[in-house]
Amino acid sequence: MDIKVLGTGCANCKRTIQLIEQVARAKGVPVTLGKVEDIRDIMSYGVMSTPGVVIDGKVVHAGGVPGREKIEQWLAAGVAA
Amino acid sequence: MNSRVELPPAREVCPTATRRLLAEGAQLVDVRELYEVAQTAFDVPGVVLLPLSELQQRHGELPRDRLLVLACQGDERALKATYFLMYQGFTQVACMQGGLAKWARKGFPMCGTIPLAEAAATSCCCGPAPADGAACGTVVAPTPGSCC
Repeated sequence: MDIKVLGTGCANCKRTIQLIEQVARAKGVPVTLGKVEDIRDIMSYGVMSTPGVVIDGKVVHAGGVPGREKIEQWLAAGVAA
Repeated sequence: MNSRVELPPAREVCPTATRRLLAEGAQLVDVRELYEVAQTAFDVPGVVLLPLSELQQRHGELPRDRLLVLACQGDERALKATYFLMYQGFTQVACMQGGLAKWARKGFPMCGTIPLAEAAATSCCCGPAPADGAACGTVVAPTPGSCC
């Protein structure tokens, strides 16, 4: 599963990356986690509010740190797909 | 939710070029928040105030048939707004480099005052400021600057 976190490096973006790493590890889901910090690259997803989360090319979240449950749902859906 | 769209590099223009473009029919869009505009503003006829925080909901109000020059206090928000409009399919958009701080540094028309440190932080470009200078605003104690 390819996951990208969109954001210019703020605390919430870093927290989002940490949280996704933690949940993926806890669930045993292999993920490729990347950061997108360039404003042009971020805006290429049309995301105005960061952090944004992109899974396999689709924006699934924009604005604020996502909750653990939400991340678990993303990972479960990705594994099932 | 959204999918990725390949965006070309945004067009960026300096304040002097912006003034020329405005004279040729371009539209200045100030994306700063309204509380910022209340303190210091571009003194440009017809300037559109559309805060970045409202752009996602209100970008449909902007014309697509003329060049839009996006501006903020510096660069970051205007660049973000420019790319957002490009994502939304606007083809005639540009970002004003240096924002209001650089505009003020050039002595271009504005209302209100801008702190010295902020105005002096940016250099100018495209030659000297025109003689008409500031109409109703001032840069507090401007200092000579270089030109890009």
